[in-house]
Order: sequence, then structure tokens, then C-alpha cells
Amino acid sequence: MIATGLVTLSLLTGIVGTIMAQEKRDTITNLTDYREPLSSAAQQIYRSLSDADATAATAFLNGGVEPGDLRARYELDIAQAGAALSKATSDKGIASEEDRIVKTLSTQLPVYTGLVETARANNRQGFPAGAAYLREASGLMREKILPAASRLYQIDSERLSEEQDDANSFPIVTTLLVVGLLVALIATQRYLTRKTNRVINKGLLVATIAVGVAFLWGATALTAQAILVDNGRDRGSRQVDVLIQARIAALEARADETMTLVARGEGGDYEKHFVQASRRLAGRDGNGGLLAEARELTAGWEHEQQVRAAGRQAKEWLSRHGEIQRLDQGGSYQDAQAMAIGDGARTAATAFTELDEGLVRAITSGREEFRAGTVNGGRALLLLAPGMTLLAVVAAAGIIIGIQDRLREYR
Amino acid sequence: MGNQKASSALLAVLLTAAVSACGDVGQPVDLAKVESAQRPTPQNAGPPEPGNDEPDPKCGDPTASLRPSGTDTPAGSTMAKIKERGYLIAGIDQNTYLFGFRDPSTGRLGGFDIDIAKQIAQALLGDPEKVQFRALTSAQRIDALKEGDVDVVVRTMTMTCKRWQDINFSSEYYTAGQRVLVNESSRATGIQDLRGRKVCASKGSTSIDALAEVGAKPVGVDNWSDCLVMLQQGQVEAMSTDDTILAGMAAQDPNTKIVGPRFTTEPYGIGVPKANEDMVRYVNAVLDQIRNSGAWTRSYARWLGELGSPPSPPSPTYKD
Repeated sequence: MIATGLVTLSLLTGIVGTIMAQEKRDTITNLTDYREPLSSAAQQIYRSLSDADATAATAFLNGGVEPGDLRARYELDIAQAGAALSKATSDKGIASEEDRIVKTLSTQLPVYTGLVETARANNRQGFPAGAAYLREASGLMREKILPAASRLYQIDSERLSEEQDDANSFPIVTTLLVVGLLVALIATQRYLTRKTNRVINKGLLVATIAVGVAFLWGATALTAQAILVDNGRDRGSRQVDVLIQARIAALEARADETMTLVARGEGGDYEKHFVQASRRLAGRDGNGGLLAEARELTAGWEHEQQVRAAGRQAKEWLSRHGEIQRLDQGGSYQDAQAMAIGDGARTAATAFTELDEGLVRAITSGREEFRAGTVNGGRALLLLAPGMTLLAVVAAAGIIIGIQDRLREYR
Repeated sequence: MGNQKASSALLAVLLTAAVSACGDVGQPVDLAKVESAQRPTPQNAGPPEPGNDEPDPKCGDPTASLRPSGTDTPAGSTMAKIKERGYLIAGIDQNTYLFGFRDPSTGRLGGFDIDIAKQIAQALLGDPEKVQFRALTSAQRIDALKEGDVDVVVRTMTMTCKRWQDINFSSEYYTAGQRVLVNESSRATGIQDLRGRKVCASKGSTSIDALAEVGAKPVGVDNWSDCLVMLQQGQVEAMSTDDTILAGMAAQDPNTKIVGPRFTTEPYGIGVPKANEDMVRYVNAVLDQIRNSGAWTRSYARWLGELGSPPSPPSPTYKD
């Protein structure tokens, strides 16, 4: 009776423990190989599209024939957005909201590119209608496409966070079973000792040790894994999230800056939006906002310097923007334009490019930290699943042998 | 026997066929159903905001300005201050093709209004390039003059009694009138054919109010070139505003034409701050020179040849 119960319990514990360990590893593999890349793809859609918007406006300001490098950058942006979009659609757990978002993105993107080309064709002929087409394109981007892309990223990054919680959840059933089994084994041995005056039953002792080892191993491995995955989140994905939002704010503001000039004196709305986006990025005085948040999160980590540099570049850019505004309102449209899109050392274009590159470097090292933490977390669980099975079998065998010894004596 | 086997086999096939044909198999699955494409529209396009119902104040003839008193620039006058500064500040438009626009390929400003502003600079400072241009929206024109941010506004500005209350106008330098721009293939021959049809105009303009009056369905946008976009995209049947602006639109698209007679009269004047009466008289003297020297006709031919051969410039009226 007791023997059957114990054997069943130990085998059950073995199965549950193995499944738990395997699931944890799967979750972690899923985090690094699927969930995080997906959230990064969603981020990529947003980034490429807002960069396309800003680049199209910059190229437009250059006059009839846009410079080759800007044309190439716009084309690359659209290609990247398309590629990332095709990945974002492959989400297995497709919910109706995501479905709708992806549909919006994939139906409106071709419309957007069509409008941009019409704007180009008109601009080449020197027609002001080109600017009207570009404004229509940019409006479509801002009112329909970018909000959808931003929602998609939000959904994906929430999923990532949920799955990190999942990976670190406490395995309550397994723990109860292991502890229960351990208690039952000890109780049985004490009972036998009292009944037979024999201190040690070798089989049961082996079983107890096996379960004890399983308990310690499991506890150590899971704790180590949780710490590592948490590290990946704190030094990695959480910072990346803030940095990405900062980058998005910067890109939006840059598009506003150029569109203000495209609108040629009728860009008041773009300037208003620039102020909003730049405050989100760097606060009222250039020292706050998302960049300050990122500075706090990265304080003491390796890429703190990159984030600090990005903050300095943001300040530089915002002061350049002030100059553009002064020049434009003072009637020096062409100087304002040179300040906005020129490639000299002291132009807004240069300051913005440096800011963007700084953010990209910080985001990349954040992603590396995430991967390092999470992959090492997964490694902490190495062999835990087969180990659980093995130990359960050893425990069951020990119990059977132990009880058989006892029965043989009885006969 | 063989026959029987064959017939039972046939029966089985028929039965199977009957059974499979009986059940409802449903429709083929359509994974990506799209009911209709969403057309892009210019930002803020939509029905016009309710117009201003206030009746225009009476002021007699809105085209009557102050009589010119020569081109002297006595010390202490507004003109002397501008001379001291070294350049004229003119409020203009950068988006209205042929009147005030920035050529995307050269980045330079050009147009009929720009020419007029340059002529004033030429008279006052001896150099047509000594102008600082400030781009203004229609809505910003009056405020810029009230604040004294600009010396003059040369920006397709219709002289109305309401505006006279806040600013001064020069004498009339151009007479425009509202007409209609349609696609080449359109059968409409004037505004009367567009009752109940969608017609585009800029929000807050006098043109859009006139459209509602003749029974067209007005669609409002922020910017005149947005109307051309909507016409090219087939989202409106026509656009309607001053023929000057329409000429600029027609010049950008050979598949459009201007039809019908003028159904409103829009006298254009140069806006000057209310206090600077000396400047108004000075500008009127310059306008007289422009009319008489043939500069007006040259400028017309250069920019507005599309509208036909140059008419004679509008003759000024003065209220003293």
C-alpha cells in the first residue's frame, strides 16, 4: 500500500518536474528566439516608417532632384518596413486587434509610397502641388500608419514582459510534490525504524537522497535562472523599451522639423507637434524626458556613456532647431533650410544623425544584455529536465528495493 | 454475375456521390477580405466650418485708398525708418503658384505679388533684392500688420470693408474674380453646372462661402494646392476660387481647364499697418509708376499669360 503510493508519488513528481523544467527552457528559448525578435521587428516597422517620413521631407527640401543618398535611405526604409511587416504578421497567437493593425499597415503603406512618388514627380517640374502631395502622404503616415505601428510595438513589448514574468514564475505544483514526497519518505523510514528497530533501510535512504538532490538542484537552478533573466530585463529589455520610445520621439520631431519647412510658412501645426515630441524626448529644458529616464536606468551599466552622449546630442539638436525657427520666421528661408538639412558640422541634420546613431548603439547593447541574461538563464536549467526524470526513477527504484527488502525479511 | 458486381459498384459510387453532394460545404475561405480601399485625403479636409454670418460693415467703396503724394521720404516718416533699416519686410505667400511661390528647383521666390514687393523695394531702396520676405498664411495677414511685424502684405488680399477696420489698403493693383477649375473632360461650363456636386475651396476663404450660396457642396481644405490634389485624385468635381489662383493650378496640370465667367469680384490691395498712412500714400505713388511704366503689363505677361493677353491695369480710386 505505502510502497505503491510512494512509487506513484515519486514518478508523478518526476513527470511534473521534468515537464516544468522543459517548459521553462522552452519559454526562455522562445524569449530569445521569437518574442524579443518579434518586438524588435515591430519596433523596426515604426522606426523605418517614421524615418522614411522624415527622409522623404528632407529629400524634398533639396529641390527638384533629390540627393542619391537620401533617395537610397528612403528606399531602404521602405524595404525594411516591408520585411519587418511580413515578420510581424507571422505571430502565432494572432488576436483580432493585431490582425486589424497589420491589415492597416499593409494596405496603407503602398498608398503612402504612391503619394510620395507623385509628390516627387510634381516637385521635379517645380510645381507647388508636390508639397501638397507630400503633406497628404505625411498626414496619412502620421494619422493612420504610425499610430498602428506604435500600437503593434506596444502589444509586442507587453507580450515580451508577460513572458519574462512567466519564465520567472514560481513552480508551485512541483515544489509541493517534491516537498510532499520528501516528507512522506522520511515519515515512512521513521515508521519502519520504530517497527523493526532497524535504523537504516538502504533503498529508502537512496530514494530520499535522490529526492533531496532533485530539490536542491531544482531550487538552485531556478533561482539562478530567475536572477539571470531579471538581469536581462533590467539591463536589457526595460532600457531598450525606453530607448526605443526616445528614438521614436526623436524621429517624429525630426519629421516635424522638415515638414515645417516643406509647408513653407504654413507649418504651424508641425511646429506645435515638434514641441510636444521634443518634450517627450528631452523634457522642457533638454535634461528631462525619456532620455533622462534612460540615463537613470542605465546608470552604472556599460552603455551609460552612450546614453549620456545621446542626451548631449539631443540638446545640441534642439538648440539648432531654435536657430532654424529664428531664421525661418526672420524670412531667411534658404538659410533655415541649409541649417535643417545641410551636412555641415553645425547643422540640425548632423546633430540629429549623431543623436539617432547614439540611440541605436545604446539600443543594440541593451539588446545584447537582454540576450546574454536570458540565454545564460536558460543555461542554468541545462540537463535539469532529464535530471528530474533520472532522479525520479532512482527514487522509485530505491523505494521498490527498500520495500522488497523489508518484505523479504517479513517472510 | 459480373454484371451484378459492376452494377453494385456503380451503385456505391452513386451513393457516395449523393452523400457528399448533400451536405452543405460552405463558402471558400477568404483570408484577406477588404471591402473598400480607404482613399487618402489631405490633412484636415472636410466640410467647411460654419461661415461668418456677421454682415460686412459698410464703408462705401472698399477699393478707394489714400491719394498718393509723391515719392519723397521725409525724415521721421515710415519710409525713412525702412531706409535706415536697409531692407523692406514684406508678408507674402510661398504656396500660390504664379502669385507667390518658391520654385522647388531653384529655391527662389517668384510670382506677380513678389514682383510688386520688389518694385516697392526698388523705388524705396534702389535695389529690388532688398526685401526680407515673411511667409504668412491667409489667417496671419491681418495680425502681422497689426503687430507691425511687416511693412507691407502683398498676398492676393481682397480689399473688404471689414479689413479696412484693422488695416489700410493701397489702391487696387489687380482685379480677380471667382471662377471654376474642372478636369478637361468635364462637361461643366460654369458654377451653375455644379449644384449638388463636391467643389473644393480653402477653409475660411471668401470663396467657400460663395460656393455654399450657389448650391454646390463645398469641401474645405487648409491649402489651395490641396484642392488640386483632391481634383487630381478624383475626390472632388471641381475647385473654385479667384481666377488668379486657378491659373496657377491649371499651369501645374494640363488636364484641367478654367471655365465659366467670374461670379464675384475680388479687388487685390497691398496691406499696410493702420497707423502708417504716409506709407499708404507712398505705395500708391509707386503703384502709379508700375501701372504707367509698363512694369505691370510685363509682370502680367510673365506670370499670368495663361489667362490671356494682359488687360489694362485697374485704375485707382481715392477717397483722399
